[in-house]
Amino acid sequence: MSLIRAGWRAFVITIRMRVISTWSYLSWLVFPMLFTIVGLYVLSSGGASSSRLVYGVLGGGLIGYWSVAYLDAGNSIQDERWSGTLEQIFATPTPIWVILFGKVCAGLVFGLVSFLPNAALAYFGFHAVLPALDPWKFVISLGVLTLSFFCIALTLAPLFALWRWAFSMLNGFELGVYILCGFMFPIAALASWAQGVAGVLAPTWAVRALYASTVMQGPHDFTLWWLAAIGLSVVYLAGAYFLYGLVEREARVSGELALA
Amino acid sequence: MRRLALEVAVFVRSIWLQYVALFQWATINGYIAYKLLLPVTQILFFVELGVYATGRQNALYFALGNALQLTANAGIFGVIATVANERQYGTLPLLLASPANRLVTFLSRAIVNVIDGIATVVVGLVITVILFGLDLHRANLPLLGLCVVVISLTTAGLGLMFGSIGLVMRDAIILANVVYYLLLIVCGINFPVSRLPFVLQLVSYSLPLTRGVQAAREAAAGASIGQVSGLLAGELMIGLLWALGGYALFRILESWARRGGLQEAY
Amino acid sequence: MPAIEARRLRKTYKTTRGVFRREKVERVALRGVDLAIEPGELFGVLGPNGAGKTTMTKIFTTLLLPTSGAATVLGLDAVHDQWALRRRIGFVFGGDRGLYWRLSGLDNLRYFADLYRIPPEVTRKRIPALLERLGLAGRERDRVELYSRGMKQRLHLARGLLNDPEVLFLDEPTIGLDPVGARELRVIVRELADAGKTVFLTTHYMFEADAICDRIAVIKGGEIVAEGTPSSIKKVVQDQGVVEFEVVGMPAERVAGLRGLQGVKSVAVVDHELAQVVTIHCSSPADVMTQLGLVLDGMSLEKVSSREPTLEDAYVQLIGESS
Ligand SMILES: Nc1ncnc2c1ncn2[C@@H]1O[C@H](COP(=O)(O)OP(=O)(O)O)[C@@H](O)[C@H]1O
Ligand SMILES: [Mg+2]
Repeated sequence: MSLIRAGWRAFVITIRMRVISTWSYLSWLVFPMLFTIVGLYVLSSGGASSSRLVYGVLGGGLIGYWSVAYLDAGNSIQDERWSGTLEQIFATPTPIWVILFGKVCAGLVFGLVSFLPNAALAYFGFHAVLPALDPWKFVISLGVLTLSFFCIALTLAPLFALWRWAFSMLNGFELGVYILCGFMFPIAALASWAQGVAGVLAPTWAVRALYASTVMQGPHDFTLWWLAAIGLSVVYLAGAYFLYGLVEREARVSGELALA
Repeated sequence: MRRLALEVAVFVRSIWLQYVALFQWATINGYIAYKLLLPVTQILFFVELGVYATGRQNALYFALGNALQLTANAGIFGVIATVANERQYGTLPLLLASPANRLVTFLSRAIVNVIDGIATVVVGLVITVILFGLDLHRANLPLLGLCVVVISLTTAGLGLMFGSIGLVMRDAIILANVVYYLLLIVCGINFPVSRLPFVLQLVSYSLPLTRGVQAAREAAAGASIGQVSGLLAGELMIGLLWALGGYALFRILESWARRGGLQEAY
Repeated sequence: MPAIEARRLRKTYKTTRGVFRREKVERVALRGVDLAIEPGELFGVLGPNGAGKTTMTKIFTTLLLPTSGAATVLGLDAVHDQWALRRRIGFVFGGDRGLYWRLSGLDNLRYFADLYRIPPEVTRKRIPALLERLGLAGRERDRVELYSRGMKQRLHLARGLLNDPEVLFLDEPTIGLDPVGARELRVIVRELADAGKTVFLTTHYMFEADAICDRIAVIKGGEIVAEGTPSSIKKVVQDQGVVEFEVVGMPAERVAGLRGLQGVKSVAVVDHELAQVVTIHCSSPADVMTQLGLVLDGMSLEKVSSREPTLEDAYVQLIGESS
């Protein structure tokens, strides 16, 4: 019970810090819109063929969702290291994963909101729509996507605490996922090794289902895609269990938490 | 003569310090990630997007545009980050009060970032060319190289403006971030400027990068220097204007700060 | 059972240095520390920067693992029983980092109260009481960045007391505070100890340890070089006197000459503006005074004086001796 309260408080505090930080508006509001604009211009290069424009409607939102969901918890670890609070929260009787759980959930909330302005921009700026939206499949796919983002973020966040250099590495991963998981274009065009890597990333399957739920042409195998995304997410969580143990130990050996 | 030697010494030293400051990541892992992974992934994203939307034959168009846009990364953020660092370590007042010629201080800042920018573009381009098997055999490579150098200079000019703004605005880096990504939209990086609304086209041509990217694309298609000299001259002009504007702003802010008007600067 | 105990505690940090050619560096921070602190004691660990005070504090507060040896607090092993231990101890590190500056003091406390898993009904009463006790009442809704340095430190202390800890660890809590703020904090710390809490306090100010601690350990280079009550530590220099004078320009061979004098224990030279202040610890100040003229022939000495040793002298000698 007290653990739930601790996680909830971490969630609330993170949300409040985001609301008062200019940076956070960039990451969930401004940047995704800039991506949406470039995306829509490029996708409409060969005339406004609607099947490609779909990627412009959701792509910016997906980018925003992912970057906030994934990076927010990690970035806030980095902030806490700077402010000296990382060590303080680490020393409390609340395990760090509970705190990160709250932080990651806060990121998901902001990330989800980021779909709205992007879809609006696509609609009003480029008359782009989702041609054949199946609301139920769409919502389920979004739920599965959320789960996969959550699991990745929760799994990788402790690495930010452990290694300071992980920060730029993991930032690179953020961009890599835009490509590999097909946020703004289908991955069929990628090199086959890249498609292989994409296959083990849970969001790839969820995003595929999400786009499929908005267009008519099949064949669509929603159940398979959803299950693939959920299954991979569970595998990540198993990895997380291992990583959190490592962080708890390593941080106490090196004393790295305290360094700015 | 001695005065000149002194200035040169200050200049070189200052460049060196700037570069050390850039190396703040302190580990080679962090540096590689920051200097290679991030830029290359960004190029790849837009190339893939462009290839999906317009076909594989256009890969070079997107690769060139996005690689060149990365110079703006070095130019804009490099300068702003140094100013921010100096504020953080409390050395900003020292800089403003230093008897060394401020133009020297200022230029050394830009030069480091120019070098850094060129390196980023070259690495980014080479990797993309290999990954996508791009065909450069018709390209006028020396001219393309010249374009890279010119664009690095001009985006650094724009960067000086933001460095100056950074003196007074704590969150200037946020502004710089937005501008950096705006360049992606308005400078003809991923689609021709002509598709933008007219007002934005005016903005495009008052920014560095727009003409330079056009010139570079023509060079890649085999143009001679004569054919792109107009574009390059225009690009240099614009860069120079931004740099002068940045320097002027710097001088104004500096005298303001010395009169105690700019608490924010410290 | 001691409230805090260390047996043969060692800590070696392994780090890497250099950007391109990375070399591994080992730094020994603690080399076999033994300590036993009784419940209710206010125990001071006194030592210069880099002596290992923070390292020791972090091991007891479960933030660091020792390389070898044992650390127990309240009978709990600081290595393995960290979850149980964290609920029962509090800690405050000096400096103004470690707070959420953009949140109010109250929000900071509420957040940490939940992280310390304190029941809400307890929190509701305890936070106002702590704010009152530490003189923050009325300012709790202001953002922390608006607090003075002293207020931030008291907020830190309030945070450290949220879980009503039986043992409180304070690592250089007065660092960076002005003299008045530092005195206020010392008064509060003394009162906490008087109210029955065990307090572990590190400091590099000798007078601070002297003023409030029941017992002191002097630590130097990761080793305890003296331990006892402030007055017992003064005994180190009991049979000694101190000769001090100022001089301009003190060549090294003259210092060596002073060291060679009979009965001289140590000679310290400290720059003071343009001159140097020379402090000589010796068994017989009168003899040294008469010989000064011989060793420092031709130099003009000023403010020559001799006095009784203080705790500071004991500290300086302990720290100087083992190097
Ligand atoms: N995280 C760390 N990594 C490597 N060396 C460290 C670390 N923390 C402290 N040290 C080293 O250990 C020694 C003791 O440091 P510390 O415990 O902080 O001393 P104090 O608190 O008494 O100033 C110093 O030499 C310091 O440089
Ligand atoms: Mg310390």
